[in-house]
Amino acid sequence: METFFEFFSFSDASIVSVTVGAILLTASSAVVGTFTFLKKKALVGDAVAHAVLPGICLAFILSGNKNPLILIIGAFITGWLSLIIIDGITKKSKIKEDSAIALILSVFFGIGILMLTYIQHSGNAAQTGLDSFLFGKAAALVGNDVITFGVVAVTLMLTVSLFFKELKLISFDSNFAKALGIPVKGIDLLLTTLTVLAVVTGIQAVGVILMAAMLITPAAAARFWTNDVKKMTILAAFLGAIAGLVGAYVSYAAPAMPTGPWIVLIISGIALFSFFFAPQKGVVSRMYEQRKMQHLMMNENLLKSLYHLGEKDDNLFKGRKMAEILSKRYFPKKKLKETLTRLKRQGFLISTQAGWSFTEIGKQKGQRVVKLHRLWELYLTKYMHIASDHVHEDAETIEHIITPEVEAELERILEFPTEDPHDEKIPY
Amino acid sequence: MRIEAKDPVVEFHDLTVSYHKKPVLWNIDMTLPKGALIGIIGPNGAGKSTLIKSAMGLLPLGSGHVRMFDQELDAVRDKVSYVPQRESVDWDFPTSVLDVVLMGRYAKLGLLKRPRKADKEMAMSCLKKVGMEAFIGRQISQLSGGQQQRVFLARALAQEAELYFMDEPFAGVDAATESAILSIMQEMTAEGKTVIVVHHDLQSAAEYFDWIVLLNMRLVASGPIEEVFNNKMLQETYGGKLTVLAEVGELVRKRQIPSREKY
Repeated sequence: METFFEFFSFSDASIVSVTVGAILLTASSAVVGTFTFLKKKALVGDAVAHAVLPGICLAFILSGNKNPLILIIGAFITGWLSLIIIDGITKKSKIKEDSAIALILSVFFGIGILMLTYIQHSGNAAQTGLDSFLFGKAAALVGNDVITFGVVAVTLMLTVSLFFKELKLISFDSNFAKALGIPVKGIDLLLTTLTVLAVVTGIQAVGVILMAAMLITPAAAARFWTNDVKKMTILAAFLGAIAGLVGAYVSYAAPAMPTGPWIVLIISGIALFSFFFAPQKGVVSRMYEQRKMQHLMMNENLLKSLYHLGEKDDNLFKGRKMAEILSKRYFPKKKLKETLTRLKRQGFLISTQAGWSFTEIGKQKGQRVVKLHRLWELYLTKYMHIASDHVHEDAETIEHIITPEVEAELERILEFPTEDPHDEKIPY
Repeated sequence: MRIEAKDPVVEFHDLTVSYHKKPVLWNIDMTLPKGALIGIIGPNGAGKSTLIKSAMGLLPLGSGHVRMFDQELDAVRDKVSYVPQRESVDWDFPTSVLDVVLMGRYAKLGLLKRPRKADKEMAMSCLKKVGMEAFIGRQISQLSGGQQQRVFLARALAQEAELYFMDEPFAGVDAATESAILSIMQEMTAEGKTVIVVHHDLQSAAEYFDWIVLLNMRLVASGPIEEVFNNKMLQETYGGKLTVLAEVGELVRKRQIPSREKY
């Protein structure tokens, strides 16, 4: 707890720089990643992330020190090269994009690991900490590094906001963009460059191996909450930033903990939460909707059965025992009880000595379902020429979903019929 | 049968287009008249979409060229609009109806500029024209096929162009949308605009268009509907598949030779 307050008071200058650095890195890669995600190029980020490793190592071997600017340049060159090669392979050979990505990713990463091992055994004292690029180390962000990475991160976000309109258009409809005369190739190149830059800076925080998650996961999580590209981009940045903040805290509180995996765990947790609990698109909300629909169908089926019973002995408001309802239509006992109590609570039924009976609005609701069922049967026989003994099953489903507008339309085109195809009265 | 247009707005000159070196359009040479509603008709795989895509510079030309308003496309892009096939985009993309229509204004806006109020008003009035004003803020994934097509048409109208290329605008739309789109097209041509439509239904083609282009890997006919839309021409387009042409195309692909010799 003590470290918690210590950290979040931001009294220590190094805490501030680590935190600001981590947040900028994660947020900027989330912003760029939104468009990689929308262009369905999620794997491209993964390829670049692995392909920058040889660049970093080569830059170190040639320069002999860990100046971040030099490492960024090295990383940038091999990251870019990998994308050009993937593009070339896809265009010039029969190998498809996914295979090309897999090929390039492993070849570049293999070379990178080879070089890293060589450097580690070379006895160069400056090499310590270079392996933090594998898993990332937010705590390594100090002083000038933060400024370098911060500038790159801010540039990324500014560039995306400047070209937002064009990025949106080429992600949605690149043929139309070309037809408009928008420099689609140029914008594509820009997005590629931004992706490489985002990866190059982001690996400082989460490392080579997990970088793809940092590009794609915030966007994937944000997509659950909004249907607007702009809101989605901002939300992705925000979610990425939260993960960055927590990551920075972890590396402060427990210096032995790997920062990158923590950041990725947090953002994955957020994505998982969105997957389950987002309104409309989330699993839970969809399950809730389904349950509501099931309740509605149970309600209506029960009211319909009561109406049928009432029709039979010409007394719609007579009380009925559960056994009598079951004789009309099968319901699982438990479900039947539940539904009866629910309908009572909702004011459609009352329970009396003689059993369950309609209230006035309960009767109207039951009558409407019966009417819709019979109207639909009539419609199917009249307009779709389906035999009258084949229409019942279909009407069983459709009766629950017909809206008042469709109802009025059916009544109009069938001219308020009085009888359905089985000579049963259609009640109004 | 090839009839030259008196007042040509588009000129195809010896156009040959290949996919992976296999020619799919051979030597298309024709002119199309200004202010006409023009239907491009032909069987599946005839190269109808390919023809307008290559006219819009979306596909590399094997040989030949296309000129519009007697100029290169790049010089007159602001006067030319393209409506892609509805299925060519992902309708689950997170954006709204108004945003899609505003895309029609992007070329006029230029890079780095945001749509202004005037652009939004323009987009609104285009949506009104296609009967979609009630759907302005609607998420595009919630639209029906016909509504999607209307949105695409509104986006094209927002470009305020003179010449329109539309890829299958009548495919998979409801009857109400079909007649709404047709009457907008007729309005456009009455204003002197030219509308070129890829179409696959012969029955309605006879009623809709003033000028017909019959295509089946090669140009079968191009001319006013009353002169080219007859049994003989249709037979040639749909019945008479030129097997030698298809075979030679296959040979070209296998040998990987360019359609014109280069040294």
